[in-house]
Amino acid sequence: MWTIAKLSCREVLSKRIFLITILMTLAFLLFYGVATHYGSREFAEELQQRGGSGGVQMERAFVSTQLLGVGLYFASFITALLSILACVGAVSGEIESHQIDTILARPLRRRDVIFGKYLGFGGLLVIYALGLFAGILLINQTLGGVLQLSLHLSQIVGAAALFAMQPLVLVAAALWLSSRMTTINGGVILIILYGIGFIGGFVEQLGVLLNNNALVNSGIVTSLIFPLDSLFRKMTLTLFDAPSDPFSFAAQGLFGSLSAPSGLMIGYALLYGAVMLLLAFRQFAKRDL
Amino acid sequence: MSEMVIETWGLTKQYEGRGGFRDITLQVPRGIVYGFLGPNGAGKSTFVRTMLGLLHPTGGRAQMLGRPIGDPEARRKVGYLPELFRYQDWLTGRQLLEMHASLAGVARTERKRRIDTLLERVGLSGREGEKIKGYSKGMQQRIGLACALLADPDLIFLDEPTSALDPIGRRDVRDLIVELREQGKTIFLNSHLLNEVESVCDQVAIIHRSDMIVQGDWRRLSDVHTQVVVRATGLTEAVWQQLSSLVLQAQPMDEAGSVADTEAPTRWMVQVEREESLPLLVQRLSELGVLLYELTPQQPHLEDVFLHWVQGKEGQPHVDDRQVVL
Repeated sequence: MWTIAKLSCREVLSKRIFLITILMTLAFLLFYGVATHYGSREFAEELQQRGGSGGVQMERAFVSTQLLGVGLYFASFITALLSILACVGAVSGEIESHQIDTILARPLRRRDVIFGKYLGFGGLLVIYALGLFAGILLINQTLGGVLQLSLHLSQIVGAAALFAMQPLVLVAAALWLSSRMTTINGGVILIILYGIGFIGGFVEQLGVLLNNNALVNSGIVTSLIFPLDSLFRKMTLTLFDAPSDPFSFAAQGLFGSLSAPSGLMIGYALLYGAVMLLLAFRQFAKRDL
Repeated sequence: MSEMVIETWGLTKQYEGRGGFRDITLQVPRGIVYGFLGPNGAGKSTFVRTMLGLLHPTGGRAQMLGRPIGDPEARRKVGYLPELFRYQDWLTGRQLLEMHASLAGVARTERKRRIDTLLERVGLSGREGEKIKGYSKGMQQRIGLACALLADPDLIFLDEPTSALDPIGRRDVRDLIVELREQGKTIFLNSHLLNEVESVCDQVAIIHRSDMIVQGDWRRLSDVHTQVVVRATGLTEAVWQQLSSLVLQAQPMDEAGSVADTEAPTRWMVQVEREESLPLLVQRLSELGVLLYELTPQQPHLEDVFLHWVQGKEGQPHVDDRQVVL
């Protein structure tokens, strides 16, 4: 199992897509850093001109959460994309190329191969996700100036854990699809599921804002179909909601959460990942190679 | 442990009732080279893949090294070189072997020595640091052979092991097979290149269109008819017609030994039903005034044996009970 995990890590690291992703991630962080730096400087000048009234302070808090929110949203998106691209062919690609034949001719149980791949891909993507999360927070804390958010360590740790759970759920789903169908079919389905999840999340927030039950229920259903958006929104709530703050900025804007995912929903997301992994074990065990 | 390293009872793998192989019952004893022969698409690779647990059988049962197939432990002392060999090409040759040694449970202290020995044996010493994507097909087949032998297996499945090799490589593989047999290993050799395996197989099974036609000792299996070269004067088609009850076929040969149509041949390739018919043939030729200079029995090539059994099967209207054990 550990050999398969190491092999999976090595496979991702050896692929050109990983190098490209790392370079593009650095480019994104550079761009985000520059935007944060100049944005906060301009905002500071504006604050000086308008004075420190309550309205301006609220605006500052809103802008700072939105700026961090957009950074984290994009980070979540590229982590998800990398997870899908790296994992959706993890099993099907090896079946199609027959690379898996000599591996399975060893005294291995098929579920060990899947679990090894899960550990390898999941571990690497969690490291990547946490690195990206840390990079964005670091930019906010060092270059944010007046837009810098005041964060407690417990908030950061909680949010990081939720952020890192996203690739773990995605990898499990990708392995199930990869055990079941061709790489291209699995990739298309997973990207659409991911899209449905996030659009459903926006629809749900809109529903709460407009007090429209149909939209809210649609959002809940999509969260049940693919619960990644719930993890993201819970993460932003954990990060932005200061306990001492009487007014939650986490509820506002495009990346806010008017409808907060419950602890039960996070449990559901974890269960969803576990079930996907079990389905992958089962599917891979019974299929002909 | 059983002296049979492979035993199958009515093993079947079919896709919606077609393809694959059906109702294969065979026993492979320890320490032999077992040739599993048949044309492309006969079901040979499907059989091997089923034995290795890559495919699930649709009927029957099988054991490998005393354990049921499907049990991972049955594969602990098994090596496999697939027909469609594709390896993780982002790894170097050594990394691939290290990975397989780890999967096969080879002790860490033993790995380096064994890998070095195998690299030397398959002729890849000095190339092990290169990425597999840069290897030629022949080199990939060689590294595949090294992979198959890493676990010091008791049973080795070689599926078309020389398909990508040049003549020197083919000879090396034949030598390796003989060497492995001398070490007490059992080799299950899948091939459609009949002359390739003729020299190394102890036992042979012939599979054709999903059915096993015949299996058994290669020497007995090859005893399908008796061929002799007759060199004589006075031989004509009319003579052979008079001996038609004794001679199945008589073809003139040129001096080089290949079949040719000539008006006054001196050498003929003659086929009789049984070896016991030869003294009578000599007597009848003498009675007909033929002066006999030479009568040399010919060992049939595996190709002839193969065609004999395959054509025999195709001549039968029903497939049931066609399997012959010699």
